[in-house]
Amino acid sequence: MMPRLLALWLKESIALLRDRHGLIALFIMPTMFILVMTMALRDAFSPGITVDVGYVIVDLDHSSNSQALARRLAKGASFKLQATGTPTPEAARDGVQSGQFALALVLPKGFGSRLLTPAGADGQATEPLTLLVDPALNPALQLAFRNQVMAALGALRADELTQRAGKLFGLPTAPGARPERDWPDEITSVAVRSGKNIKPPSSVQQNVPAWLIFAMFFVVIPISSIFIIERQQGTLQRLRTMGVPFRLLLAGKLLPFFIVNQLQAVVMVLIGLVVVPLFGSEALEMPSGLGLLNWWAVSVAVSLAAVAWALLVASIARTAEQATIVGGVSNILMGAIGGVMVPKFVMPAFMQKLAALSPMAWGLDGFHTVMLRDGSFADLLPNLLPLLAFAAGSLILAAWLNHRTIAAHS
Amino acid sequence: MLKVDGVSYRYRDAASPALQDVSLSIPAGGIYGLLGPNGAGKTTLISILAGLLDAGHGQIALNGQPLAAARAANPRAIALVPQDYAFYPMLTVAENLRFFAGVLGLNGREIKIQSDAAIAFARLEQVVGKRAEQLSGGLRRRLNLAIGLLGQPQWLLLDEPTVGVDPQSRHFLLDAIAALPAAGTSVIYTSHYMEEVEAICQRIAIVDQGRVLAEGALADILSSPEPQVELELDRPLPPDLAERYAATPLGNFKFRLFFRLTVGMTSELPRLLDELATAGCTVKNLNFGQQNLEQVFMNLTQRSLRD
Repeated sequence: MMPRLLALWLKESIALLRDRHGLIALFIMPTMFILVMTMALRDAFSPGITVDVGYVIVDLDHSSNSQALARRLAKGASFKLQATGTPTPEAARDGVQSGQFALALVLPKGFGSRLLTPAGADGQATEPLTLLVDPALNPALQLAFRNQVMAALGALRADELTQRAGKLFGLPTAPGARPERDWPDEITSVAVRSGKNIKPPSSVQQNVPAWLIFAMFFVVIPISSIFIIERQQGTLQRLRTMGVPFRLLLAGKLLPFFIVNQLQAVVMVLIGLVVVPLFGSEALEMPSGLGLLNWWAVSVAVSLAAVAWALLVASIARTAEQATIVGGVSNILMGAIGGVMVPKFVMPAFMQKLAALSPMAWGLDGFHTVMLRDGSFADLLPNLLPLLAFAAGSLILAAWLNHRTIAAHS
Repeated sequence: MLKVDGVSYRYRDAASPALQDVSLSIPAGGIYGLLGPNGAGKTTLISILAGLLDAGHGQIALNGQPLAAARAANPRAIALVPQDYAFYPMLTVAENLRFFAGVLGLNGREIKIQSDAAIAFARLEQVVGKRAEQLSGGLRRRLNLAIGLLGQPQWLLLDEPTVGVDPQSRHFLLDAIAALPAAGTSVIYTSHYMEEVEAICQRIAIVDQGRVLAEGALADILSSPEPQVELELDRPLPPDLAERYAATPLGNFKFRLFFRLTVGMTSELPRLLDELATAGCTVKNLNFGQQNLEQVFMNLTQRSLRD
């Protein structure tokens, strides 16, 4: 049994090494996807933390209040403060126009002295704050900045009021302390899903496992191209006359492609650890110890599902073109609904339910269970068992289809 | 001895059986030709012998042992060389041979010995490192044959082994196949090419529509039962001679004239030749007492197109 299996493994390995398109689909494609998508979606995964939009403050008041507002905005704002010294309103206008920055907030003269004076209360007009905006800036971001200014203003007024009230009522104040306080207004985002609270993945945590799963399923291209050549050229029949049982043939294909899948896992993780940070994104964090074993268990289950699925597609397809289309399209569909291309947590509820149908989603959930929630092996079972059942079902169906083909010819 | 006894086979959903009550005795140590038009049942019979199909009815025995038991006892006893190039185009010649030797269950040393022997037999030394997809048609046929010889089979089933090759490769293949019985491998050979079968087969069977129409030693099948003479002449046969010898024109191929005449005895031949000379007819070709295989084949299977 063993020398025959070794011959089959060696044959598959050589054939794969010479299949340039197959290797590109298995290794180059996911690498590109991981790098491009991690960069492209870097900000989309942590909404409100940082926005790549710059602003300046034109302080015409030069009061302690105007400076306190600037500090509050710089501290709490998700927008980037551009260092431009102390610009004039005209310079700020030119800067917005030339695209140097998208927002400029003008604090008028008298801003500090009239901070607590309601408009028109003393018969004098209060000059409003002016926001110069680049019209090309997303309106939602314009609104977000306005709201942040409003919130900072509110906090500033509260500081001012408590300070003055403190003096009025003789409350103790630390001498020389800044009037700004940390009001308990910090908000933490928590993504709510299926009744459990989890931290949403970062861009690299989403993209590395997602595209790894996607790439693992692409073994369908090399597996089917070899399998269809074997069937069309009569090699399978020759092997049958040599007494090679079909189950041995399947075993001969399972192991080499399982190893290829594990190699893909190592390469993609290394890209997440080493290459992604070179492009300015955060590095992938991998679990250690038992967590790493659990991570590998998910990788094994995804691989078995992917190879079995590929054998099924190769058994259904009559030609290599059919296999490429059926395999490619089914992978893209599984990836699209399974949260590979669009993360599941941004999908509406009914799409998240649909995602549960995709084996890629089971794998991705498994990886996230280990990577984001420190899940134990028992926590993984709801993901591993469907993957293994899917693999077994695909293999059985593939074997049945091949026996039926043989029977139809006899 | 491979004995096929009353074997019938019908493909699922087929209107008529592919084989009907086929009985053949194929002695070991020779080359046995299996002839028949397309769809005659040759490949079905080969497939049954190779273990790809199970005979519906009838028995097949190899050296007195039922075929299935004989195959189980020695899975390498019968090897098939299919009509297709049944190997891996992306693997080199040497890799293909090593792979097929490996799946036959040979050990490392045997793999090397038998691969080398197969390379030498098919004269593939110059192309061992070349990928199979880069080989010419003739070299592919030789590789296909070489793979069949791995495991040193007692019987080799060859399904149209010379299709699509140039005359040089064909002659090489035929010589190589003709030498196999001396090396201990009996051959069953199917082909459409009559001259190939005439050249290398000692015994033949002609099959059509699933039935055996003729079987026996090639010489017996080709010997003419009637005292007939076939002539090729340079001009039409004079009417009086045509009448006297009950002549039938055999056709006019590419401006060549063929006739079949009936003579009473061999001793009448010189007189016929004298008469033809007197009538001014030059005899370009003469055949007496022996038919060629193509004539026998066409007479038995009729001339109608089969597919």
